[in-house]
Order: sequence, then C-alpha cells, then structure tokens
Amino acid sequence: MIFWLSNSATALVSVKLRQLRFSLLHGAGNTALSMVFVSPRTISKAATLRDSILFLLSLVAMLWLVLRGAGQMDYSWHWQRVPGYLFTLEEGRFIAGPLLQGLGMTLAITSISMVVAGLIGLLTALLRLSASPVGRGLSRIYLEIIRNTPLLVQIFCFYFIMAPILDIGRMTTAVLALSLFEGAYASEIFRAGILSIHRGQWEACHSLGLTRWQGYRHVILPQAIRRIMPPLTSQAISLIKDSSLVSTIAVYELTMQGRAIIADTYLSFEIWAVVACIYLVLTVSLSILANTLKRRVHGAT
Amino acid sequence: MPLLPETNNLGFDRENMVKMRNVCKTYVGGVVALDHFSLDVRRGEVLVIIGPSGAGKSTLLRCLNGLELIDSGSIVIDGIPLDKNEANQLAIRRKIGMVFQSFNLFPHLSVQENINLAQRLVQKKSPAQANTITRDLLHRVGVLDKAMRYPDELSGGQQQRVAIARALALYPKIMLFDEATSALDPEMIGEVLDVMRNLAAEGMTMLVVSHEMGFAREVSDRVVFMEQGRKVEEAASAKFFSQPRQARTREFLSQIL
Repeated sequence: MIFWLSNSATALVSVKLRQLRFSLLHGAGNTALSMVFVSPRTISKAATLRDSILFLLSLVAMLWLVLRGAGQMDYSWHWQRVPGYLFTLEEGRFIAGPLLQGLGMTLAITSISMVVAGLIGLLTALLRLSASPVGRGLSRIYLEIIRNTPLLVQIFCFYFIMAPILDIGRMTTAVLALSLFEGAYASEIFRAGILSIHRGQWEACHSLGLTRWQGYRHVILPQAIRRIMPPLTSQAISLIKDSSLVSTIAVYELTMQGRAIIADTYLSFEIWAVVACIYLVLTVSLSILANTLKRRVHGAT
Repeated sequence: MPLLPETNNLGFDRENMVKMRNVCKTYVGGVVALDHFSLDVRRGEVLVIIGPSGAGKSTLLRCLNGLELIDSGSIVIDGIPLDKNEANQLAIRRKIGMVFQSFNLFPHLSVQENINLAQRLVQKKSPAQANTITRDLLHRVGVLDKAMRYPDELSGGQQQRVAIARALALYPKIMLFDEATSALDPEMIGEVLDVMRNLAAEGMTMLVVSHEMGFAREVSDRVVFMEQGRKVEEAASAKFFSQPRQARTREFLSQIL
C-alpha cells in the first residue's frame, strides 16, 4: 500500500512536471513544433476553460485518493518536522539542513556534468562527422555502449571497476558516469543540429577560404547551438533527474539525503514529496532560464 | 573610384587566369556533369556560360574553386594547380570569390560582421582595418546604411549585393557568379547586375552563369554554350548572338530570347 501511494504521489508530480515542461519548452512560439502540435492560440477559450477544470478535477481526485489511502492506513502527517530537515536558524544564523546540503551536492554534480557532457557531446559529434574512419569508429562504439546499457549499471561499473583502478573518489565517479551517459545523447543532438545547417553555409565558408575548424567555430556551431537549445535543455533536465541515481553509490546528493532521513524517521510521504518539489523547482527554473536566453540572441529560430 | 585595388586592373596583361584541360566530373549516381571539358579564361575577361539546366554550368564553377572534386583532367588557376595538396586548395580559394544563387550569407552575423569575418580569419586583419574595407565596399554596392542589420532584414537584392561585397573583401583575382540573379524578384535583378557591370568595367576576371541574355550581350567578352557537360559553342559575345554556328545554339537562343 505504501508503495502504491508513494508511486501515485510521484506520478502526480511527474505528470505536472511534464505538463509544465511541455508548455515551457514548446508552447512559447517554437515555430517548428507549433506546426506539429496545435498552437495554444488556436484553442478556443471554452476549450481552455474545460481543460483547466478537468485538470483541477483530476488533481483534486488524486489528492483525495492519496489522503483517503493515508487515512485508511492511519498515517499521521508530520509536516511540522520537515522544515528542520531543510534548514534551521540558530541565534538568527541560517544553517542548511541535510536536504539543502543534498541540493547543493546535486547542483554541484549536475553543473559539472553538464559542462563535461556538453564537451563530450560536441567532440563525439565532430568525430562522427569527421573524415577520419578511426574517429567515426571510436565515437560509434562509445555511443552504442552507452545508449544500450542502463545508466544504473554504468554507475555500478564505474564505481566497482573503474574507480578502484583509476583511484578516483565517489564524487568524481558520479560526475564521470553521468557525463559519459548524457554526453552520448548530447552528441546526437549536436550532430542533428550541425547537419540541419544548410549546405550553402559550408560552401560560403569554403569559398571564403576559411578552414574547416574556422567554419565550425564561427559559422556552423553558433547557428547549430541556437537551433538545438530546446533539446539540449531537455537533456540537461534529464541530467538533473538522472543524478538521483548516484545515490546508489552513496553520494550524498538530494535523493540520498532524503533516503537517509526516511531511514531514521519513516517520514516517507513528507520527505519524498519535498524532494520531488525541489527537483521540480530546479528543472522548471532551468527551462525558464533557457527560454529567456533563447529569446535574447538574434536569429534563434 | 574602382572597386578593386589597381593590381587587378592590368588590361595589357593577358595571360591565362583559368586553364581547364579535359576535366571530367561524374556525380554519385552516374550523372555526367562535365565531359572532357576544356576552357581558358584570360585575365580581365568576362565569360558568360549559358545552357539548359543540368548542362553542368554550376558544376563547372564549383570545380574551379574546389567545392567539387574533379575525376580527371587538370585545372590551373593563376599558375597554381588545383590538386590534392590542401595548401594549394586554400590558396586557390583565396584567389577566387564566389557568389551563390541563394546568397548564403551568415544569418547569425550582421552585414558588417559577414564581410569582416574572412578578413579577420583569413587575412588576419585588425577589426579597424577590416571595418574600413567593409564600409568602403558596402558604400560601393549601395547598402552602407544596412551595415548593422542582419541578413533576414534585407531584401533579396540587398542580400546579394552584400554577398558580392563579402566575396570582394578578400581582393579576389577571379569572381564566380552562379546564377546570382535567379532567386531575385524581377525589380531587384537590375541593382545586382549594375554592381556586376561596374566590376567588369574595372577589369575583374569574371565567370558568370546566367540566364540574363541582356547582360551577356552587353557586358561579356565571350559566351560559352554548354549542354550535357560538353561545350557546344564558344564565341565572342557579339558574334555568338548575331551569328551562332550550331543549330542547337540557334534553337536554344530562339527559345529564351
């Protein structure tokens, strides 16, 4: 019963998250996508109202189910204990609790991994598009291995096999595993972006006597990166969510801290709900940031 | 004021700028674009290439600056052989400016940055040096007021004039025009042709693929009519239009004139 309930609670959060992400990523005038999906402007007011009511109703129904389930198993809520795990104030001084410390760790891991994954992705994409058979072969092997094995297994392989060999810590292992995993997906995004740039741009570069590298650096990549901002943002959001898996190798990030608190206190509902909300705030902020950036550069679409 | 530095304006120096011998090019899939094609272009000459679509006109230009690799034959540009040597390829590209049917301006850069880019990267000019040349060229092609605009804010004719300025910024010795006016609205063709006409008057060596017969008759020194990768007829432009020798040429001219 507990499992079912906690599942339904996370499902609720993830449904909401997906809706928010959808509207944030695709709703705000992405021309390519609004041709495929119905543009928000073409939906009538009545339909919008009906959808909103349906959404609220299902939200209420879910909430009722959760509360009823909790009531049936005599779950007593202890929300008042939650803030203490976020932060405490001692003599007016702010002291981060385990959840905020975990958030800090999650932010550190994901931000480093994002940069490394971006670099790996770009490098792999350039290798795959290069004339060198060795480069193409290597990047292909890397992609196939990473994309056809589960991330959790990759994390364990790194932790139990690579880490002792290379003598690296848990944090480095986590960053390495996440970067290599997300980098493989990022490289496909980069490759698609580079290939989407019209052939004429390359021809103009060649005819002006630019070298291949100069063409990439000054003409092709600046255009490609603007074009792939939405899928890259999605990938960054995946990275944030996937980072919870490194809790399995005892890296004290947000999920691990949540698990530790629950092991002590049995506050499963409250803590998981709060943890999910923190992830939600992170991912939604990232979407908003990406959209703001996108609107500020010229020729983004 | 000339569009070009004086070194390009050596009217008496008539050696070959372009020397093509028996060039063959077959595309993947078996389409023969050039079939044992030979061509000489003298310094300062304006050559117009005409022919039906699929005749290999664009391929001819694209082979000259190495955008397409030739299967056999030889190409020598201003004394430099176009071969597998990458240094030679780059040297040749830097001697040749190319203007495309679809402009191919860089959409993420302003007009001024479009023209500065190769000066900065290829010629290693300082921003100030590049700006001076860029603004001078923009003034001469009549779009100086658009220097800070982006390509998508310009009309087709303005974009093509910027593209010509971009190619000229590297002081090329040869200019290739690949159907430069074909994508333009009729009322904008004139402004681009005017720029090309001035360039020809200043002694630039030009190879022009075009359907503008008026331009060919008035500006060019020589016309080549090609079909299926072969030269059907080649003559001085006055003679080409008044007394075409081949029946196929007469047929083609009667259809488009």
